Amino acid sequence: MLSVEKIKSDLKALNAEYAKIKDLPPEKRGEFGRELNKKRAELEKALQAALDAEQDAEVEPLDETAPSAPNRAIPRFNLGSKHPLMTELNRVLSIYSHMGFDIMEARQLDDEFHMFDSLNFPAGHPARDGYDTFRTAENFIPPAHTSTMQYRALTRYKDELKNGGKIAVVIPGRVFRNEDADATHEHTFYQCEGVFVSEDATMGQMLGVLKTLFETYYGQKLNTKTQPGFFPFTEPSLEFLIEKPKSLGGKGDGWLEMLGCGMIHPNVLETAGIDPEKYKGFAWGGGIDRLVMLKYGLTDIRYFESGKLEFLEEF
Amino acid sequence: MKISLNEIKKYVDIPKDLSTEELIRLIGARLVEVEGSEDWSEKYKGVKIVKVVSCEPIPDTHLHLCQIDCGSKDLVQVVCGAPNVHADMFAAWLAPGCVVPATFETDEPFEIGSRKLRGYESSGMLAAADELALGEDHEGIIEIDPAMPGVKPGASFAEVFDLNDIILDIENKSLTHRPDCFGLVGFAREVAGILGIKFEEPSGLEGREASRPRGSLALSVEIIDSDLCPRYSCAVVDFADAPREKYFTKDDVFLIKADMRPISPIVDLTNILMLKTGQPLHAFDYEKFVRVGGAKEPKIIVRAAKNGEKLELLDGKTIECDENDILITSNDTPVALAGAMGGASTAIDETTNCIILESATFSLYHLRKTQMKHGIFSEAVTRFTKGQPAGQTLAVLSEAVEELGVEPLEVVDYYPAPIEIPPIEVSVADINSLLGTDYSEELIVRTLANVGLMCEKLGAKGLSVKVPYWRTDLHIKEDIIEEVGRLLGYDNIPLSFPTRPFVGARDDPMRILKNRIRDILSDRLNAHEILTYSFVSKALQEKFGEDPKDSYEIVNSISPELQCFRQSLAPSLLEKVQENQKAGYKDFALYEINQVAKKSDGLNNEGVPVMKTNLALAVTGDYYKAKAYYVELMKELGLQAGDPRRAGAGDAHGAPRSGAWGAGSPSDDSWGCAQQDPQHPCGTSQLANSLLRKFKLEGPVAYFEITLDDYLDRSLENKTKNLRFSRFPSVSRDLTIKVSQDTPYEKVYDSLDRGLVKTGLIYKIEPVSIYEPKENLEKTKNLSFHLLLNNPERTLNGDEVSDIMYKITKETCKAVSGEII
Repeated sequence: MLSVEKIKSDLKALNAEYAKIKDLPPEKRGEFGRELNKKRAELEKALQAALDAEQDAEVEPLDETAPSAPNRAIPRFNLGSKHPLMTELNRVLSIYSHMGFDIMEARQLDDEFHMFDSLNFPAGHPARDGYDTFRTAENFIPPAHTSTMQYRALTRYKDELKNGGKIAVVIPGRVFRNEDADATHEHTFYQCEGVFVSEDATMGQMLGVLKTLFETYYGQKLNTKTQPGFFPFTEPSLEFLIEKPKSLGGKGDGWLEMLGCGMIHPNVLETAGIDPEKYKGFAWGGGIDRLVMLKYGLTDIRYFESGKLEFLEEF
Repeated sequence: MKISLNEIKKYVDIPKDLSTEELIRLIGARLVEVEGSEDWSEKYKGVKIVKVVSCEPIPDTHLHLCQIDCGSKDLVQVVCGAPNVHADMFAAWLAPGCVVPATFETDEPFEIGSRKLRGYESSGMLAAADELALGEDHEGIIEIDPAMPGVKPGASFAEVFDLNDIILDIENKSLTHRPDCFGLVGFAREVAGILGIKFEEPSGLEGREASRPRGSLALSVEIIDSDLCPRYSCAVVDFADAPREKYFTKDDVFLIKADMRPISPIVDLTNILMLKTGQPLHAFDYEKFVRVGGAKEPKIIVRAAKNGEKLELLDGKTIECDENDILITSNDTPVALAGAMGGASTAIDETTNCIILESATFSLYHLRKTQMKHGIFSEAVTRFTKGQPAGQTLAVLSEAVEELGVEPLEVVDYYPAPIEIPPIEVSVADINSLLGTDYSEELIVRTLANVGLMCEKLGAKGLSVKVPYWRTDLHIKEDIIEEVGRLLGYDNIPLSFPTRPFVGARDDPMRILKNRIRDILSDRLNAHEILTYSFVSKALQEKFGEDPKDSYEIVNSISPELQCFRQSLAPSLLEKVQENQKAGYKDFALYEINQVAKKSDGLNNEGVPVMKTNLALAVTGDYYKAKAYYVELMKELGLQAGDPRRAGAGDAHGAPRSGAWGAGSPSDDSWGCAQQDPQHPCGTSQLANSLLRKFKLEGPVAYFEITLDDYLDRSLENKTKNLRFSRFPSVSRDLTIKVSQDTPYEKVYDSLDRGLVKTGLIYKIEPVSIYEPKENLEKTKNLSFHLLLNNPERTLNGDEVSDIMYKITKETCKAVSGEII
């Protein structure tokens, strides 16, 4: 690049040229003038560029690999975080919500009626033991599954059925099981329950909804399958499995058990004051912790309630 | 539960073209979760049946030098250390190159070779039961009955003993309601149903007549409560239980495949029949039984135990019973814990000449509790707690007596109220409308008939399904629909979607509020959301000043750390602040949104505890830092009433006033939660020194906790924004006012604000600093503000601004008795 001094002297010389105009015959003056103007514009542009370059040359040397210039504060972002379980739960809920499911919150202390009686567990039935429930001195129960909310969902929305509507609700909640915590077991975890009732609900619809949920969640087509299961509050009862998604390293071989589901038992509908002859429904419930563990390859479920910043900062 | 596929194949003709993988997949999809399968055929590949032709002791050792016939031209020489090896016996031989079955599929498979022992060449090995992974016996090598079909030198051990088999590992939990599937017959019936094959019921079970007793020995049965024991069948048989036979038998293999141990002929027989039919049997020593009962007439009385009644069991343990336990007694003297375990006093042994065989069914509810209370998890009680049907006790008993090959001396069948399962009515439309399928009546009827559910036509499309005795779980039409859906494969149901009105989905208002708070605190204010347990210790509550008696207490808590349902979140949060400080974190804020409950809050109209959703935030910093979080949060939520023109940075108006809140100062020992003001239901507190010490925290640490339910209604209100912007430049001025130390900040701020409102300008008041000199003899402080002024109509000029500043400064100084610096 030309130096500022050189351009300035060129400009000076050019300006001197203008004096020659008056010596030219009038018909040539125009063209001569335009020629000079063009040259001058070029020189001025070059001068500006040279001046800019001169100014810009006054910068400190840059170490692109360093976090800051010498003697300056290192820029820091003090970032907050949301709990991954809550974030993932919200993702799941948002998919349900887009499908048209209302959302209802679960409660963390409940009673025998909501935990068992309303769900068609016969009194004293061994199936009640299978849930490893905690109990308070007053015989309240920190719920062992979000199904405790089924009765409330059914009774809250049953009037909509009369008007030709449906009950379509999902219920996230914190649940508790009396088992010792280890890397894959927690006494405290999260579930999401789903309840659908209409005049023409079928098992085919339930399987369609569940497949769509997981396909949307994992953003791919998935093979799904079922296994017969047993829950007193659904009849028939199933376990729902999905093929391990590609995003989790699946190669079309493994299966993941995602949730339990089934057609709502007529006794459950009846207890909630819904005529089981007229209305049919399906319900399901699955854990959220496992979704998050699979997604992030977490090996220890106890991280979730650890409150460790080193864990939370990763999310 | 372990299920042998070869045993299943004895009952079901499985199509040749169906692969084992597909069969297992179908069982998993239509009956029960298969946790795994073990292919035994490789394991016994190189094991041969051989004849020991000669057997000579090797001098000065316990070893024998054997020449064995393994079916090839030449005899093979094997050195054997087993005490029971002898000439002419048939044994199992592991040829050189064969992996010892017990080490098959372990980390260190052991391959047998040829080697020299005491100078004698030894090829391969004659195997004991434990080496074959067919028992624990290592006393001697197994001896094979020469009369057994297929036994000859060189024969495949696996073929003769039916070891080319696949053993399925079945998840018991998903068969809780299917007692019938805990027997091979029931399981096989289901496999047939799944494959669409008609199951041929094995002869001799249903409707079988009792074996005719010779009737020479009296025995009567009395059941005190038939709810506890709906049916009790038993037979007296004169049968001496011999010690185990010396030969290794197919029955041994049958038991081992099911993970059971051969014990003695009579015990093995009862176990084999249980594995086949699902009906547990128990054998008492008749003579001991009579002796224990003491009376002339032997009598079995089945009754509930009395509290504190003691019984010594077969395993030597003495248990103390309660009213829930069911006892088998001999004339009222307990001899067995019904359904769970026999008693020591009537155990059969080598002196036994005569037995009572019991085949009964008991209340599963009682047995479930008995099982848990006494920690008994036998194969028998596993089956009884599923509710074994009363329908087959006598048939299984008769089968057992027949197997023993002797005529019974007495047979008693006490079945006072035979259980009839009423037929279930269901229509084809019911089935298809619930499943979302289009199955024909013919297909449905055939599918049900394959597993013994016979349909009778009722009217046009109705069916009456006769329920066989083994399906005690079938009561309503949905149960039948389940059978159809399951046997034909749920995975074959066409997928569809619910039809529903085109309406928007509703969210839960509390969830909306919670998510807004999470967005603000995590994304804008850089706090970390945590989740902590809902259960806390009494010690933690006491440390924090809460009364544990106001907590719902968990009676079966895992540990004292998790004993009380929490009343507030802050204590858990402070514990996590401490843990993170210990991990090296210095400057952070943690928050949690979760449910809390207190007994004193009472019950709601459902009769369950009132639950509140709280938000707590704890920060490493002083009162003002926690307050700043609270103020910003409220502002972002739009919960601050006030003049929108004040919505500038650092607007502290409306914040909890430290004086009015009684919030603690670092030196304040009378620390406590601030009182609740309905307008500002927040108590921001800095932890008192004593609490810092108790929580092992590095101070200062401050927190606030609010109940979101109190904010819910207002958070839903619409918030209008009265925005004013200007295209003219703003003018800034700094201002410092010296006031007495005890003048509240707010008083100065409000005065400036009042002055500026009057000007009609757009303005901002930003606090810059609050300064107190070190040697504060005059007891004053300097409050500095940065003011931003703007006239939306035109550019402000210097004189105007000076006028305004003069006025507001003068007014403020007068109002707060301050002076301008």
